[in-house]
Amino acid sequence: MITALGRTTMESVQYLGQLGMLTWETAKAMFVAPIRWRLVLQQVIEVGSRSQVVVAVTGVFTGAVFAAQIYFQFQRFGMASAVGSVTALALFRELGPTLTALMVSGRVGAAIAAEIGTMKVTEQVDALRSLGVHPIDYLIVPRSIALMVSMPLLVAEACAFGVIASYVIAVPMLHVAEAPYLRYLNNYIHPSDIAISLIKGFVFAVIIACVACHEGLETSNGAAGVGRAPTRAVVISSLAILGMNLILTFALNIIFPSGR
Amino acid sequence: MIEVRDLSKSFGGSPVLRGVNLTMEEGKTLVVLGRSGCGKSVVLKHLIGLLKPDAGCVLVDGEDITSLPERKLTAVRRKIGMLFQSAALFDSMSVERNLAFPLREQGMTDEKEIDARVAEALDMVGLGGEQLKMPADLSGGMRKRVGLARTIVGRPRCVLYDEPTTGLDPITSDSINHMIRRLQRKLGVTSIVVTHDMKTAFHCADRVALLHDGLVHFDGSVEELRASKDPVITDFIEGRSDETD
Repeated sequence: MITALGRTTMESVQYLGQLGMLTWETAKAMFVAPIRWRLVLQQVIEVGSRSQVVVAVTGVFTGAVFAAQIYFQFQRFGMASAVGSVTALALFRELGPTLTALMVSGRVGAAIAAEIGTMKVTEQVDALRSLGVHPIDYLIVPRSIALMVSMPLLVAEACAFGVIASYVIAVPMLHVAEAPYLRYLNNYIHPSDIAISLIKGFVFAVIIACVACHEGLETSNGAAGVGRAPTRAVVISSLAILGMNLILTFALNIIFPSGR
Repeated sequence: MIEVRDLSKSFGGSPVLRGVNLTMEEGKTLVVLGRSGCGKSVVLKHLIGLLKPDAGCVLVDGEDITSLPERKLTAVRRKIGMLFQSAALFDSMSVERNLAFPLREQGMTDEKEIDARVAEALDMVGLGGEQLKMPADLSGGMRKRVGLARTIVGRPRCVLYDEPTTGLDPITSDSINHMIRRLQRKLGVTSIVVTHDMKTAFHCADRVALLHDGLVHFDGSVEELRASKDPVITDFIEGRSDETD
């Protein structure tokens, strides 16, 4: 058992090292190699534009369900007016970035891993290299930039739809008084809450890009390998997002303390 | 132009190459023969820096490329083109865009010149007018031809062929063999062909090297290969295994 634990630990450290190297190589490539803006634009359309429906629906239902649940609990203490502010705070600081990242990881991370994985096993990645094109410059940098640009915007979109949905649930449907609802919302939500959601979105984008691209580039064993790559990309990036969210929550609470 | 010295490579602890030495003469065709899994493609991938050896070196125009970082290999790779076993066409691009890709990556921006170079390369492989097809619409033989056109469109000095006839019918294979020879004559390129197809070897080779047990077992002319009485060579040429029914 100790041997198995040691092996798993070693493999995890090795995996983290590979991810770190890929992240470093990608960051370096953004400065030393020309950026292919046409590919970046294509990827922004693929990653950002085509993820909007999924993200908006996620925001709507999360905001709506959370608002209803908060209302059911808070009305017992006569605090139903706080539904909007509590929901918005939860959306901006936690639910918006995390759920958006999980959805994007499932939709975009899986697609990236499958596409690059297919290119790897069909020798297209080697063909790129043989033609004097660095795969990091051509495949990884455009996808990474597209995710880093798109994710904060998608998070903002999810939060906005969530806040609107919570208003619709609380005010017209559950008859919470509108004036105190809006006053609480205005008093308790600060620019720092929005900053936290955008920063988390950016960090999660880096995680999704690195894990998905790494899984794609490490694909082997033909069709079976291509089948495994997206699954691994989604599972690993989702776990990494959840873990990183905890770290970011504490770190960002120091930088942006609640209520300021 | 290319020289391989004491090349060794292992995968997962299993040695594949155990000190391979080869010299490729400028403007000639070297055919590297060997059984499946003997490391022929591994040798080829070292010549263009796609693999790093455990020991030994590869000299291209006198420069050791084995220690070069990936970004510094670009200049070397523009001198050497490679036709992959699966052709490795970019399946999201049309034939035209596949061929234009290396030209654009080399910094060519004149679209008329790109179109002319693409058309010329496609004509050389007998596929003139097929620019708008997608790789998925091509047969195996056509994919190999388009792959070869993409390899030569950048006008490399050396072309590496990885199993150019594997998976093709005998007539298409014969046509590919003729094309390799024709391109070598027309463009004057150095060609290195990795294959286990004896028809390809006899048709294309100026010189033949046979890999066996991770080493170059034979290196000589086609006539010397045919005349050899070495059982390893005769078994390979005649396709004889040790097994019985």
